[in-house]
Amino acid sequence: MRFLRKELPFTIGIPAVVWQVLFCIIPLVMLLSVGFRSQEAYSLVVSWLYGRVIGYSLFLAAATMLICLAIAYPIAYLLVTRFYRWRQVFLFFLMVPFWTNFLLHMFAWYFVLEREGVLNTALRSVGFPTLSLLNTPIAILIMMVYYYVPFALLPLQSALERVDWRLREASLDLGASWWQSMRSVVIPLTEGGIISAALLVFVPAFGEFAIPELMGGDRSMVVGTVVSYYMLTARTPEVGIAFTVFSAAILAAAAIGIVRGIRFLIRQGVR
Amino acid sequence: MRSIRLINVSKSYHRETVLENVSLTIPSGKFFALLGPSGSGKTTILRLIGGFEQPDSGKIFLGPDDITHRPVNQRRINTVFQSYALFPHLTVFENVAYSQRIKGMDPARIEERVMRMLITMHLEAHAHKSISQLSGGQQQRVALARAIINEPDVLLLDEPLAALDLSMRERMLLELIDLQDKLKTTFVYVTHDQTEALTVADQMAIMNADGEIEQQGTPKEIYEFPASSFVARFVGSTNLLRGTFRTDDQSDPRVEVPGIGAIAVDTHRNPTAFRQGQQVLLSIRPEKIYVTLDAHRTDFANRLGGTVESIVYHGRSTQYWVRMASGERVQVFAQNDEHFPQEVIDYDSPVYLYWQRENGVLLER
Repeated sequence: MRFLRKELPFTIGIPAVVWQVLFCIIPLVMLLSVGFRSQEAYSLVVSWLYGRVIGYSLFLAAATMLICLAIAYPIAYLLVTRFYRWRQVFLFFLMVPFWTNFLLHMFAWYFVLEREGVLNTALRSVGFPTLSLLNTPIAILIMMVYYYVPFALLPLQSALERVDWRLREASLDLGASWWQSMRSVVIPLTEGGIISAALLVFVPAFGEFAIPELMGGDRSMVVGTVVSYYMLTARTPEVGIAFTVFSAAILAAAAIGIVRGIRFLIRQGVR
Repeated sequence: MRSIRLINVSKSYHRETVLENVSLTIPSGKFFALLGPSGSGKTTILRLIGGFEQPDSGKIFLGPDDITHRPVNQRRINTVFQSYALFPHLTVFENVAYSQRIKGMDPARIEERVMRMLITMHLEAHAHKSISQLSGGQQQRVALARAIINEPDVLLLDEPLAALDLSMRERMLLELIDLQDKLKTTFVYVTHDQTEALTVADQMAIMNADGEIEQQGTPKEIYEFPASSFVARFVGSTNLLRGTFRTDDQSDPRVEVPGIGAIAVDTHRNPTAFRQGQQVLLSIRPEKIYVTLDAHRTDFANRLGGTVESIVYHGRSTQYWVRMASGERVQVFAQNDEHFPQEVIDYDSPVYLYWQRENGVLLER
């Protein structure tokens, strides 16, 4: 009994640890060891060609992240400050699309974006020229933003809900304008939420391969496309894994950079 | 240093009226206390003056200017919030410097002004600490420093001492009085604590639970000459006796209290004239009654007999509850000014209560 009381926190954790080791750590180690079967695998992936692919993925992920933050922050802000009673209803409708298959959304967007689609018909009716959006980075970005906005919205909303709005009143009382008060009080107080939102979008967006594949045509190569090519098409898993390890290292560095960058920018806004 | 005037101000939230046609003048350069029970709308008045809310009708003037609809950030009015509302992501220095930075002042001047302010408030040692490292009293001082560095015309204080313990509160009250004396800024202090209000205020207003202003005046006027039974009860404690006013051609005014008899009163200081036979309330402060076992004092206008029902010893004074033959209970405060009292009043002692005629205040019923 004495053993149990003292070691209880660890005892409770044991099943989870076993689960993790069996189904996550062991397979991961096995997978990674495959990557070291041949030495060429790493020399093959660390090259300019793949540098460009990683660069493109970084660009897509960063652009998606920025657009998602720019869309989600004002929405979350309005939900918390103006439409607090309606936020549950809003979040419900936000979740509804997730009940249907993701591929269906993508095809739905085809109908919107194609040359004779909803968007172009609307544009033409008011006299704009036709846009060819499908198979361009813009189509990829639209789809990525559409898919990832909820991931940014939820952490931002919960961060804004925790803000003590009396602090905002205090800043206005001390002479701050609406925007100065936003910059020096509200945004710094939601720093944690902004960082989670940024990472929740950036990290999966970097590895995304279905959206670039389907919306961007065969010209757009991203990290996900390369990995799936080596693993599934070329059947050379060691190269795929080597490439995954390589791009994961870059992703980790980019994520640290994003966190630092956000902190720096917020700190600048306070001054 | 400008006066504030509220003229026929009304405000309601979700169809619930908080203030209805309130008019109030807060004199310039004074320490003004707004005292009322919770829910009386005193914080609403403060928020209207501060600009956090707009009245549904009526006008608010700061000096000669109509500020009714002026935005918060353009009023030369600063607030010390009940919760302090200090910025947790900024240091003490940055909190105090906030308004100066907003104004775009030169950093060297900000540094100098903020440090001088921190020294005045005895906070210089804490300049670069974060807010969470400070005690309640220190946070209170940061909130004050942050509000007064802007040199506002009016400083609003919303129950600023509510979160402090008693000894800290007493010290801060004295500091606030000193500060107001030094700055000569109009201070508007909202509280539900009558002791605080009486201590700090040059002028005060009493609000009742319906959001109406019952009386305005100096603390002494309000305590000694309450204008209504609400004020008499809310500020300090008092004994209220119901009776009928009697006077024979303006001499020997008295109140006939059923079961007790005639009580001699003085009507010279009463602002309102009472009619013969009018139903009135007589308020007698417990410390203005002399309690003794002696039945033969002749130097008082009034004498009532009763039995001691309860005794509460407060240290500097003792509170007695005395039951009259008529069944009414009267409370009395006696100073414990003798180390070895000549007479010992105990439970069930038959005692006599004496007071002068001018110590009773007549109120409308």
